[in-house]
Amino acid sequence: MYRYDEFDAAFVNERVAQFSDQVRRRIAGELTEDQFRPLRLMNGLYLQLHAYMLRVAVPYGTLSSKQMRMLGHIARKYDRGYGHFTTRQNIQYNWPKLRDIPAILAHLASVEMHAIQTSGNCIRNVTTDQFAGAAADEIIDPRPVAEIIRQWSSIHPEFTFLPRKFKIAITGAPNDRAAVKFHDIGLMAQTNGAGDVGWAVYVGGGLGRTPMVGKLINGFVPHEHLLAYLESILRVYNRYGRRDNKYKARIKILVHEEGLENIKGQVEDEFSHIRGGVLTLPDAELDRINSYFAQPAYVDHGVVSVDVEREKILDPAYGRFLENNTFPHARSGYTSITVSLKPIGGAPGDATAEQMEAVADIAEKYSFDELRVTHEQNLVLPHVAIADLRAVYDALGEAGLADANAGEITDMITCPGLDFCALANARSIPIAQDISRRFAAPERAKEIGKLKIKISGCINACGHHHVGHIGILGVEKKGTELYQITVGGDGTEDAAVGKILGPGFVADEVPGAIERLVDAYIARRTTEDETFIAAYRRLGDAPFKEALYGNG
Amino acid sequence: MTKILTGNELLSGAVVYLDADGRWVEELQAARVYEKDDEAAYEAALAAAKASGRVISLEDEDVEIIEGVITPSRTRAQIRAGGPTAPKFDRQHLGEDEHVSL
Amino acid sequence: MAAISSVLSAPAPKHDKLKALGILALNGMFDEMDAEAVLRQAVDELLPGDIAMVSSFGADSAVLLHLVSLVDKNLPVYFLETGKHFVETLDYVETLKQRLGLTNVIALYPDSADLARFDPDGTLWETDPDSCCHIRKTEPLEDVLSGYGGWVTGRKRFQTAERGVLPHFELTSDDRIKVNPLAYFTNEDVEAYKARHDLPEHPLYGEGYKSIGCAPCTSAVAEGEDPRAGRWRGRDKRECGIHFDFNGSIAKPVSQSSLHLFKDGAFKADPWKAWAEGDEPADVRYTHVPVSVFVEHRAAFLASPHPIGLQVNPGEKVEDIEGDLARFSSVAINFRAFTDGRGYSSARLLRERFGYEGELRAVGDVLTDQIPFMRRCGIDAFVVTNKATREALEKDALAEVPLYYQPIGERHEVPAGTRPFLRRPE
Repeated sequence: MYRYDEFDAAFVNERVAQFSDQVRRRIAGELTEDQFRPLRLMNGLYLQLHAYMLRVAVPYGTLSSKQMRMLGHIARKYDRGYGHFTTRQNIQYNWPKLRDIPAILAHLASVEMHAIQTSGNCIRNVTTDQFAGAAADEIIDPRPVAEIIRQWSSIHPEFTFLPRKFKIAITGAPNDRAAVKFHDIGLMAQTNGAGDVGWAVYVGGGLGRTPMVGKLINGFVPHEHLLAYLESILRVYNRYGRRDNKYKARIKILVHEEGLENIKGQVEDEFSHIRGGVLTLPDAELDRINSYFAQPAYVDHGVVSVDVEREKILDPAYGRFLENNTFPHARSGYTSITVSLKPIGGAPGDATAEQMEAVADIAEKYSFDELRVTHEQNLVLPHVAIADLRAVYDALGEAGLADANAGEITDMITCPGLDFCALANARSIPIAQDISRRFAAPERAKEIGKLKIKISGCINACGHHHVGHIGILGVEKKGTELYQITVGGDGTEDAAVGKILGPGFVADEVPGAIERLVDAYIARRTTEDETFIAAYRRLGDAPFKEALYGNG
Repeated sequence: MTKILTGNELLSGAVVYLDADGRWVEELQAARVYEKDDEAAYEAALAAAKASGRVISLEDEDVEIIEGVITPSRTRAQIRAGGPTAPKFDRQHLGEDEHVSL
Repeated sequence: MAAISSVLSAPAPKHDKLKALGILALNGMFDEMDAEAVLRQAVDELLPGDIAMVSSFGADSAVLLHLVSLVDKNLPVYFLETGKHFVETLDYVETLKQRLGLTNVIALYPDSADLARFDPDGTLWETDPDSCCHIRKTEPLEDVLSGYGGWVTGRKRFQTAERGVLPHFELTSDDRIKVNPLAYFTNEDVEAYKARHDLPEHPLYGEGYKSIGCAPCTSAVAEGEDPRAGRWRGRDKRECGIHFDFNGSIAKPVSQSSLHLFKDGAFKADPWKAWAEGDEPADVRYTHVPVSVFVEHRAAFLASPHPIGLQVNPGEKVEDIEGDLARFSSVAINFRAFTDGRGYSSARLLRERFGYEGELRAVGDVLTDQIPFMRRCGIDAFVVTNKATREALEKDALAEVPLYYQPIGERHEVPAGTRPFLRRPE
């Protein structure tokens, strides 16, 4: 993992001191709310429906055990004993008090964490594949580059007042688990003809009011010029992105309105000026950052596989856990484990202080002190020896974290919705809970297979509903909450935006509607291996539309 | 339309309502209800609230009086008054020293 | 007059230099009290070999002469030997020459033919003091000073009400520079300077003469009286004519709190104004012209001899004036709202890509939390109206994180070892 040095620590401490003073001035009445609001937002402090909300950055979703323990400590001491992990691989606290914010930030700083740039029209926390540095299908570990992007974008003087927020995602694997094509900039590792690894750059992707799939703007940017290329894009966006309408201010609209070729021309022109300048990344620097992300000291335990079929008979729950919650590791004898934060009927993404501490202990003991937060609101133990699988499972079980539903229908992305969020139009969590209970039976979930449901409580799409195989969007119509259902979205390398097939449903009708979609799929799939999304692509809208609305 | 004045207290962030005595209170039912011809009083209260700086995110909320109970029209306002519905949480409370008045 | 003939052949005034620098823009460059830097700028940078000073060797002349001795002991210092001086003044000339090591003090005498014609009995001072000054001061000086591109004076704002707006640098109507290093000195500053450097007093100073000219026209001033009240006492005359007119109307007298331009660590008088509807491209001076206006009237602006600046509004492209940047002595980036960050890109392009090195100022919604970003993008002057921001600047207490990750440009600010690319493991 990246280890903060004195400079990083001093940087964060300066920022804490700065914001603490701003909080003090606000409480003393020296700053008005209008003056304070942009300052607190720049430090991740929002005001939600019931209270403040503090969003803490988890850079590229990577945490040490010590950091996770501190997150738990803060949840217990300053919040209500829990935290909420988000699709941005961050954590949010829903109940902090303003006067405690400086103390919370100081605690965070003591473990090299902060809330910088988790809000505001700046470059937000860079996100990546939750299995980065571990996945068997990886071309390159994206974390060193993610770290360099983090440094480059931290309080960037030119790009702190962009037309709108700006999100960058990066993946080192061809199988995209970071939804890079739905970010303002998406980076995908590529190998060129000479065998060098560089980056394919996608621009203008996004969800929200106007979902767009990112477009390839450059097929191969070498490591050493990546920052110059990113700066070129940001400069073009900063200068020409729309500022007259906040709903048209994201770079996706600029790319859409100006056309990719036009924007590409401007970016390449800018790049031709700054390429080779101060942003050129020397190999030595990349090596230095790389050294922080060196592979852990794997041990040969002599166990390289586990007989899942046998375990399923001996202990069905454990068998399901092995089947769903493990992910192939690059190193023989190791696996990555997804720790589901989607218990049946629970609030997706929430973890209690005790759970955070438990998972920190498990990571320390079994995963080289390392944890990940996934954009699907789960946690990951990236490097678990296959020999330790059962022990890890048992330890997770004791903490109530052994739900074996990773990737299944009940593993939903869900935004906080109208229960917490000041922007929401409708509740999300109760919908997720109802669906979760409806499909609680393991056999039923297994029958359905891999199916991603994503739920947002408003058009801003924090719950990624556009890219759910089944997406649910809460809207408000004449004072009641109504839910639009989309089908066919996909956030991976086969990016697609889901389609609305008809009118919305009231909350009570939603689980039934989902069940009808699922049944239509099961009835028509060619084999058990054909997934929902594959079947949808083959079959088109008609059977799903009929399932939802009948054939009237 | 009748309405109430609501906001969030600065230090705790707790939802508060302005009552008839110019105090910010947690209880929705204690809120002063402004009738249509109370506009001047409402505007004065809003201005005073803004000036104090101790309650933020000020907004008016349409309400109806149903059998003597102040009932907000919007689901949002109902959730603000009662706390999150799922997971069910008690709403945020003002601390000891966080009671404010106009 | 032999000593003078050589300077008569000095080069013509440096119009190009004036245009390039923008004379009044110079006024923002120096701390109000940094008289030595002002003088050094004038003597070493602005007009090397082309500047002189005139001294009356009066009560407070020692301060400026001391500064001259620090900067260039061989700077031509002209002394108007009017023939009407106190004998104490003539002694004082010798005292200061020796004490300060001045090697180029030149006495200027009135034209003898003029004296014989207009003041045969030496009483013109009584009947027509203006004419007396003219033949004894103005005429001899004009002959000499027309050979210089500029000259140094010891004038100070406090001395008379009319001088309350005196800047460090002025442009005369014939494009010469008048340099007033002591413009901001108060009486107390003068006294403190004299004490600090142990400068000898004019012998008459202790007798109540605070501003000393020719003997017949100088009287002592009372305690608390305007120091120059003793000059031409009882007559409606304040200036002696040698501080002849200068063009470039200076802003009305301002108090410190109404100064909005923050530069080099202090709020300063600002000679610039914004382009206004109805302005004529050929006539404006010290005006920030929007990019679009400049582009539209480019020929007229390029033909104009006056100093002009550029204003870059949000959405205007600095590329459009790239080739004409040398024309501007100040560029103002307009931040219409602090949330509109386009100006940061404009600033970096001007500095880093186009190599603009003149004053780069932020105008508009300039707030304490943004100034550190602006500085990093190359902006070095700020027009500030927000009260809290003003206080933060005055207290040097900006909301700032003074540690930077990313490299910015190649021109300035790269503390070694603080860049990720420059940081190395121990």
